Amino acid sequence: MVYPSNHRQIVEELMNGKFILSNEEHFNSLKENEQFYTEFFKVSFDLQLNLKTEYAFLLSKDSQENFSRDVSIFIAILSYELDKDGRNFMEVLDFHEFTLEEVDGYFDNSSFIDLIESNKALRDPDSRRTLINGMHRRNIVSKNFDDRFSFTQAHKVFVDFAKELAMKKMRPENAEVN
Amino acid sequence: MLIQKHGHTMNIRLREYRVVRSMGSDYEMRDVYFKLMEFLLFEFKPLLPETIEKYKSSIGDLFLKIRRYENQDRDILQERIKNLSHQVREFVDLVERNTFRLLSETRDLKSNIERVDYREKVHKASFWIEYYILPLNRILDVKHSESVTSGILDVSEYANRKRLDFADETIRVEFEKLYVQLIQTNSDLLRQSKVLVNELLPLLERIRTESLILTGWIEFLRNPYKMDTPPLLKGSRTMVYAKDMLFKVREFFEQFMQNETITIEDGVVEFDKWIFDREHFKTQLMANMPVNDFFGWCYKELKKDFKDIETDKFFALCGLLFDADLQIDFPKKSERVNLKTTTSSISLPKLKIEPAIKIK
Repeated sequence: MVYPSNHRQIVEELMNGKFILSNEEHFNSLKENEQFYTEFFKVSFDLQLNLKTEYAFLLSKDSQENFSRDVSIFIAILSYELDKDGRNFMEVLDFHEFTLEEVDGYFDNSSFIDLIESNKALRDPDSRRTLINGMHRRNIVSKNFDDRFSFTQAHKVFVDFAKELAMKKMRPENAEVN
Repeated sequence: MLIQKHGHTMNIRLREYRVVRSMGSDYEMRDVYFKLMEFLLFEFKPLLPETIEKYKSSIGDLFLKIRRYENQDRDILQERIKNLSHQVREFVDLVERNTFRLLSETRDLKSNIERVDYREKVHKASFWIEYYILPLNRILDVKHSESVTSGILDVSEYANRKRLDFADETIRVEFEKLYVQLIQTNSDLLRQSKVLVNELLPLLERIRTESLILTGWIEFLRNPYKMDTPPLLKGSRTMVYAKDMLFKVREFFEQFMQNETITIEDGVVEFDKWIFDREHFKTQLMANMPVNDFFGWCYKELKKDFKDIETDKFFALCGLLFDADLQIDFPKKSERVNLKTTTSSISLPKLKIEPAIKIK
């Protein structure tokens, strides 16, 4: 049997919980063989492939995933603080390169300080660096230097989550139907 | 409602435990239980700043009396310090609860989940700013000489001096406790003041923009641990205490296991079992006496049995040289004999051997 090109890299990265981004070479191979990979992951591992125009990742049924929650809280607070600072937070998340000091400034002066201090992944600068490194490993952020990072297209998973949550809250009857 | 639901017995029980009190034909929850419920539910009634401002006079009065009568009765001074400490604690508590409530209200406005129109939002925001946020800011503004925070700072400076130079030790300890409490209080109030300045005062400006995503984030942050976040794949890192660790370790080691059958055969390599027979060679030597070239004789003797002579066999035979029954004559000329073993070429002197003369 002939496997698609970059098959091993695609499987390894997705199985490690990594996002594959549209600007990466093996994304095209994945996209061209979407049907194959959807079946492959479903039959082999009972996992769902989520392939969007800008990124791809595998979905897990395991709801005990703390990483996703920590990242959600991180982006939520950062977005809130950026908006409070008078900045267009969507634009900043899309294009801005953050320094770790800048992030620390937002978190240390946040009114969500109780929530931040009670979360192991966010409570201090070192914990936040570990979380950012974890996001880097999964391709949610890219790091050009040790103290700088920017969000990749993968952060839109979380942005979409916030959007859907708002829609559900605004129309509770929709949430029940879903 | 509770009493109506559970009937007459509950009514008696609640009054017996002093949870409720009668108000005409109705009942009212006593304040201490109301506050407990507020605290447990983390839902606070917003207080008008006028209610909080009263602490300015209660703290100010106590401070004045402490300073004025510090050299009078020790017990009453101690009691006043404790009361002052209590008043400060209550004040900070109320400020924190009020800020929390105001934050919650203003986040509601920013989130605008009800999607009220902009004019109504501005109306609500103006209401909160005018009646709650601005007055609270005046109470907390440390730069304002009339603010409660500024009053507390004065108390703190006074307590700092007195904890060091007050004559009575018990009172010094009380001032020390008060001072430590006030340092923490000042830092707490500073934090609340920052929230007011950075987040609540610019409310009108902040509600101008609206974003569905931010609405989602604000709703999420209300209770982030009770909502399902995007279901990402869990990394494949295996912990040593994982249930399948045994199988993973086994799999890991199995790849290094040697599955081919290895047969170890008994060695069939021949080895020389020649053992030097000293007596035999000595007899041979004695029979050929005198021997003019001892080493040459050894070589020839071995040559009779072996085609190639190994060095160790040769040296074993040469050992006869040290036999007490033999006498060695060294040649006057330097004559040597060259011999070749399997591994070496040896150059040796020609030694003459004769039987030793035995002296009886």
